Amino acid sequence: MEIWRLPISASQRGKLISAGYTTLSSLSSISSSDLARESKVSESEALDILKFASHSHSGGSEMSSGNCSIFEGAQNAWDMLHEEESLVHITTSSADLDNILGGGIHCKEVTEIGGVPGIGKTQLGIQIAVNVQIPHGFGGLGGKAIYIDTEGSFMVERALQIAEACIGDMSEYNRFIRKDFQACEIRMQPKDILGNIFYFRICSYTEQIALINYLDKFISEHKDVKVVVVDSVTFHFRQDFDDMALRTRVLSGMALKLMKLAKKFSLAVVLLNQVTTKHTEGSFQLALALGDSWSHTCTNRIVLYWNGNERYAYIDKSPSLRSASAAYSVTPRGIRNSSSSCKRIRMM
Amino acid sequence: MISQNLLQSTTQKCTTGCPILDRLLRGGIPCDSITEIVAESGSGKTQICLQLSLHAQLPVSHGGLSASALYLHTEFPFPFRRLHQLSLSFRSSNARHLPCNDNPCDRVYVQSVHSADELLEIMSKTESFIESSKTQLPVRLIVIDSIAALFRSEFDNTPVELKRRSSLFFKISSMLKALARRFNLAVLLTNQVVDMVGPNEGINGLRIGNLGCLYTSGRRVCPALGLAWANCVNSRLFLSRHEEVNREENGKLIGESGGFVCKQTRRKLYVVFAPHLPESSCEFVITREGLFGVEITAC
Repeated sequence: MEIWRLPISASQRGKLISAGYTTLSSLSSISSSDLARESKVSESEALDILKFASHSHSGGSEMSSGNCSIFEGAQNAWDMLHEEESLVHITTSSADLDNILGGGIHCKEVTEIGGVPGIGKTQLGIQIAVNVQIPHGFGGLGGKAIYIDTEGSFMVERALQIAEACIGDMSEYNRFIRKDFQACEIRMQPKDILGNIFYFRICSYTEQIALINYLDKFISEHKDVKVVVVDSVTFHFRQDFDDMALRTRVLSGMALKLMKLAKKFSLAVVLLNQVTTKHTEGSFQLALALGDSWSHTCTNRIVLYWNGNERYAYIDKSPSLRSASAAYSVTPRGIRNSSSSCKRIRMM
Repeated sequence: MISQNLLQSTTQKCTTGCPILDRLLRGGIPCDSITEIVAESGSGKTQICLQLSLHAQLPVSHGGLSASALYLHTEFPFPFRRLHQLSLSFRSSNARHLPCNDNPCDRVYVQSVHSADELLEIMSKTESFIESSKTQLPVRLIVIDSIAALFRSEFDNTPVELKRRSSLFFKISSMLKALARRFNLAVLLTNQVVDMVGPNEGINGLRIGNLGCLYTSGRRVCPALGLAWANCVNSRLFLSRHEEVNREENGKLIGESGGFVCKQTRRKLYVVFAPHLPESSCEFVITREGLFGVEITAC
């Protein structure tokens, strides 16, 4: 009921509503004398009401459809669907992985990726930081990346290797699909790709919090940043915290900030997490680190695991994707499809 | 806060002293990173550590770090004689590159550590030690041999104690990484192995890294200190050894009169996980001059 947006008295409002005028659009095409008669208010009052209604209608509505929203900044679902469909995803360079992710890593969302050491989390992080830079002509976002390294796993030589392979793939694509060499010449060099990754090294949890607080300002100055990778978000929080409640508060505050960043700047946030053992009923189970309260804070959750000799990714939690797992491999060129011949996507 | 310019950063590496091993490791042990060597006793962990401590003194142009090494040892006694033996061959093969005529052993600072808390204490003093060493050959390699010995006996097997032990892992790892970052050090740790007896050892049977199972001396093993510690290191290397029996040494089979058994130790170095290395392995031997990779050529 948008009537209560109008600056009119409660009794007038009550009279309007009982006469059946609940939306501003219903007031848009009525004359003041009709309104006065229907809702039993005086003519001058009806005139004022219509004046207020037309003001709100013209001033407040930024939405293309006729309906105004009750609160500033709220959107209706139809507009959100349009926006969602137009978002490009960040590819992981593995078609199978992209498939179960619905095209790739989603922008405007926080994706958490966790797994045991050596499964390929850092590799995936570097691959995403490189792939976000794929130009629009090749279906990418043409953006820059922020890489927050808390463990020291980022190796420049490996990033260079992955960047070279990415450019190599784009040239291959050029040759086979496009055929018009002049128009789509790849001007990117591997060192350009490295230059577009803003790399921060963090050595304590206080530095981590400070940096994440600073990101808002940083990204406002570098509007082409389209992904923030944190590798790993857990490391500095697994030390002794005297007050575990403090740790939970700090972590949820951090998660909230990252989510706001993702929505405000339409970028993707990728958080890499470690795996720990959870002691339940006498047996040990594997779970992502940082506890139960943290597991609620991320939009999407992907678990990387070994299945025999193959690396698999499993969608553990997602509002829009179904649970599925896909195999992938880590090659000298980066993340690619698994090379086994019987790879198939298992739907749960 | 300023982001680092990646174009101007290259990871420095410390050579192992053997070109074959260096090729496997893409240059050697990286700086600003923690590398862990996992093996059972007698596999060569300490040998590699001693060898690296000496080769760190080489100039950067020859793969070294132009640096001295801080060697923290937890198992006793420290092999002084072996270090001396290695330093002789090191000096003779690298005489032209070494800056002056003193004993390379003088550039290896040895400190014994007896417990995890003592390690934490030493870590806080290490900062000032490294600062003060900048005037001569600065310390740019820290070796801890072995990290496992500090934790194996101190903690009970209750969830509370194990959690406390895990927190200690992360605290130590965090301090080492902060030091490595601040002074651009290479950190090398050694770790022991534990046996895996049953087919499915629960959490110990969890696969970490490129190798499904680690075998040494015919036993299935896994690295000590568990999953939590595995999250604290950047790279992990595994050394395996197994005795190979040569059946015919003098033309007669074992069991026949006059035939004798010749055993040969085959040693292999594997990359379990590393952010910059693919899955790979190579064989190596340990001689008086040190530890060297060998290339197996098919005959």
